[in-house]
Amino acid sequence: MNPEALVRPELDTGVEHGVLLLAFAEAIIGTDRKALDDVRAELADALGPVAISGLSAVAGNFSKNDRVANGIGIPVDDMVLKGTADLREQLGLNDYKSAENTFRHMTDQKVL
Amino acid sequence: MSLYSDSDYPVRDDLVVAHDAQFERFARAGTWGTAAQRLAVIVEARRAGIDAGLLEAPDDGGAEASVELPEAVRDVIRTLAASPKDFDLSTYEAARAAGLSDPEFAELVAIVSFVVNLDVCARGIGVPLRPFRDPQPGNPSRALPDEAVPDLAFVPTIPNVPDCGPLGTELYGGHFKPWIMRALSLVPDEYRAHVELEQAQYNPLPKVPEVAYCHHDGLTRPQVEIVAGRVSALNDCFY
Repeated sequence: MNPEALVRPELDTGVEHGVLLLAFAEAIIGTDRKALDDVRAELADALGPVAISGLSAVAGNFSKNDRVANGIGIPVDDMVLKGTADLREQLGLNDYKSAENTFRHMTDQKVL
Repeated sequence: MSLYSDSDYPVRDDLVVAHDAQFERFARAGTWGTAAQRLAVIVEARRAGIDAGLLEAPDDGGAEASVELPEAVRDVIRTLAASPKDFDLSTYEAARAAGLSDPEFAELVAIVSFVVNLDVCARGIGVPLRPFRDPQPGNPSRALPDEAVPDLAFVPTIPNVPDCGPLGTELYGGHFKPWIMRALSLVPDEYRAHVELEQAQYNPLPKVPEVAYCHHDGLTRPQVEIVAGRVSALNDCFY
């Protein structure tokens, strides 16, 4: 899987049906209901109807987690922060406002 | 009748059970809020999503709020529900200034996050948002875990092993838990609900590190991670 495609969706995810999956993720938390209905139908054709509830549950789960993380102001765990400096830079993650919740406590990691 | 019996797509039994249980919990007193207060919070959260165009109003929204929340608290709810990328330390401070205690705030974050979760899922499978159930009588327990201490989050949390005490040992199963799991530990019942949803919607916790394991029919783990990662990127979630 190419993680850069998660922030630059024009890139190849390296995963089968990745284009549709990215579109589904955007649409399910977006404002274009028709786009959601259309991509859902395409995914049901591509992966089978049984996949739709799983995809929706995953999107719901991470909608939950993102709010828990940002809402409670949790930092990234040490073991994840260490060794991800290059990836964070590549994906532009350090620029997220929620990064403050980590760097407020661990400023030495940000400059690595 | 099953929670999602109107879905054109099959929904796994454990998802139905977990989601149904959550709707039931919303209708009962929590640790810090009455059922009526909790209903007011989730009604506000859902309304924020509808107003932002992220959700479609159902014909039958179910129970309506009878408690009027302070405007400052409504602002906090609306930011978390509809614009989580803008939620920061100042939002937490505004909630505290509005009179919410840390455990009340944590419970509010939990149920807003959970209702958004359920509504996103309903939208994904193409069914109307589920009606909220009538609030049940009962008083909040106000049980505050002695083990929770100020740490790196906005609110106190129960530390990891070995400093988690008996309650933490029970909640964490004696194992290290990352911050995303410990975040709601100030309100143990919300922690438990978070775990229940996590295990049904993502992976059973012991299976998370197994990169080849996928909990969902018709999908591979990388496909799951694409959706998970893209949603979090769009929410600007650094975690």
